[in-house]
Amino acid sequence: MTTLQHRPDPDTTGEGVGSSEASGLAELADERAPGSGRPWLIVAVREVVVRVTNRTFLFSTLFTLVFIAGFAAFSAWQAGKTTTYTVAVSSAEGTRLVEKAASTARSTSDTVVITPTTVTGEDAAHAAVDRGDVDAWLHETPAGWTLTSGDDVGSSLRTPLEGAVRAAALDRNAAAAGTTVEALERGATLGADRFDGQTTNRGFVQAATFAFALLFFMGALMFGQQIAASVVEEKQSRLVEIIATAIPLRALLAGKVVGNSVIAMGQVVLFAGVGLVAVSFTEWSSLLPALSTAVVWFILFFAVGFFALACLFAVAGALASRTEDLQSTTSPLTTLLMLVYFASFALSGTALKVASFVPIVSVVAMPGRIIAGDAAWWEPVVSLLIMAAFSAVTVVIGEKVYRRSLMQTRGRTSWKQALRTAD
Amino acid sequence: MSEHGDRLTRPRATADIELRHLSRTFGEIRAVDDISFTVGAGRLTGFVGGNGAGKTTTMRMVMGVLSPSGGEVLWDGRPITALDRRQFGYMPEERGLYPKQGVLDQLVYLGRLRGLSTSVARSSVTAHLERLGLAERAKDHVEKLSLGNQQRVQIIAALMGRPRALVLDEPFSGLDPAAVDNMADLLREHTTQGVPVLFSSHQLDLVERLCERLVVLAKGRVVASGSPDELRSTSVSRHRLVLSGDAGWVRGVGGVHAVDVEGHTALLEIVEHGAERTLLEEALRRGEVHEFSPQRPTLAQIYREVTA
Repeated sequence: MTTLQHRPDPDTTGEGVGSSEASGLAELADERAPGSGRPWLIVAVREVVVRVTNRTFLFSTLFTLVFIAGFAAFSAWQAGKTTTYTVAVSSAEGTRLVEKAASTARSTSDTVVITPTTVTGEDAAHAAVDRGDVDAWLHETPAGWTLTSGDDVGSSLRTPLEGAVRAAALDRNAAAAGTTVEALERGATLGADRFDGQTTNRGFVQAATFAFALLFFMGALMFGQQIAASVVEEKQSRLVEIIATAIPLRALLAGKVVGNSVIAMGQVVLFAGVGLVAVSFTEWSSLLPALSTAVVWFILFFAVGFFALACLFAVAGALASRTEDLQSTTSPLTTLLMLVYFASFALSGTALKVASFVPIVSVVAMPGRIIAGDAAWWEPVVSLLIMAAFSAVTVVIGEKVYRRSLMQTRGRTSWKQALRTAD
Repeated sequence: MSEHGDRLTRPRATADIELRHLSRTFGEIRAVDDISFTVGAGRLTGFVGGNGAGKTTTMRMVMGVLSPSGGEVLWDGRPITALDRRQFGYMPEERGLYPKQGVLDQLVYLGRLRGLSTSVARSSVTAHLERLGLAERAKDHVEKLSLGNQQRVQIIAALMGRPRALVLDEPFSGLDPAAVDNMADLLREHTTQGVPVLFSSHQLDLVERLCERLVVLAKGRVVASGSPDELRSTSVSRHRLVLSGDAGWVRGVGGVHAVDVEGHTALLEIVEHGAERTLLEEALRRGEVHEFSPQRPTLAQIYREVTA
């Protein structure tokens, strides 16, 4: 403490203020203006700052990013890696078969190389496999051909070899029957195409839907729990009483929901962006445009859906009076999230179509349908509007329940009780 | 800095807080039952009562944290509004802050919620931290502070930014004697500027020492109120009598109630006016009188009387 002038102590008397009094009053009005107009913004900014400077949050975000990038790098490496197989044979026939298999393998994927090498017999082959010089021994038995190896044989070797053995046998048998393989196979192929002319990769749709479900589940659960925890933190410590005397509780709730939604969205956008970049390095890069559209929709759905969830989680926090109660007050919500998560795998056909219009479930289901290419342009729009309406209703009801249960400091309030008093 | 100084040293527009027939029920229980009293501007009003007497419930109603079942709270003669309360300093019963946020940061945040600009809130908080010896802990997380220091941070949350009234629930609990004096000085500085201060406490000696006015609560009702002297005057007066011989005989004297007799000493209540004369004459007849003095009742005594 130095002099009075340098110590703006609120407890010194008003003496000596003199002429600055009038301007001071004006200043008071100015000072109150920014804060009092938008208290929710002050709350939202704090939520964001506290979260973003939280070390655990930063680490988990970074870890997830590294995981996504690592997954992409691994896929790219896996795709570019050349696998070389050496197959031991003991006859000219065997060498021909291996060479045929090698050319088949080369034509489907340029990362598999198969080369034959000649050995004298079983003992030499066994020794070569044991030494690791060769991967397997292809030899003729009374029943046909056998591939003997020290370990399991990878499908990238087995499939082309099977094809070669099969083609050779078919050729021989057809000649013996006085016909050709082409004649035998005529009309035996099944083509597949779609009326909309699109070609979709089913595995890719599943993988993308899974990614959406996981992003949604993780994001909603993590940020939802955080909102609930931050509400109960204020309630348990009675800070909420101090805050309630300063600003309307509605503003407190709005600030929390907005603040956490902003970070949740930021994180999801970040993950999705890195994910898209990651996909561009994989064999699925040609599907990127379709995926990007779905991702944009997903983010839109997530934003609207998360608003409702954030509000519900805030209510769950308000229903608890201690951190220990959170587990039980948030359980209806975590169950709901689990259902959405599993629904995204379990549903198909009409059920999936219906689900893609049900609020919250639609966050995952609709982008999944968009990516599969079977949603008409208006469907996501309608579904999004339904969810927006749902969110609006949730926020209105949630706000009431939040206000009523927040000051209820004795014990835990059940959802049923809380909803009843809100009526 | 001096601009903020203006903001912080300007006289405050203060007024009385008036509680009128305030009641609150929780289910079947009447926690607060028709309470009326005034916390005068510039007055330090102590709020005394046992556990469950209704002090906290009353204070929460004054601050609008709890809505009354009946009655009203007036500020400056009119029903109090949220905007009025926004400029009050409040310290709730159970303490807590954001454990993982820095002291300065969260105090500034709370100040901003009360409508202060960041710079005003910051300078007020910094001044208070210095005053309470916490300047070096400004950046520390609250969870790293001792309980006593956390209590100081709470006090700052209530006192910063020139509040127009103070409502403090047990502000002295958990403070060491030096901190109590420090806190009392702080509160007096606010009352000097006309701020009404209502605080509750279990420490009756402290309340007696600090308060100009006292409200005693029992079972949700006001059982006594006034200045400590006023309360004393309504109390039955007590006298101490020390004799050269055994004092057991005083039990038989009419108009006098022997509260306690031990050897040569007796503590007496004069029930009938004039009985002290009879008593003294009898005492002198029996031997020497070493002492006959009126006893100033302690607040604890009065408290026990009125809440009995």
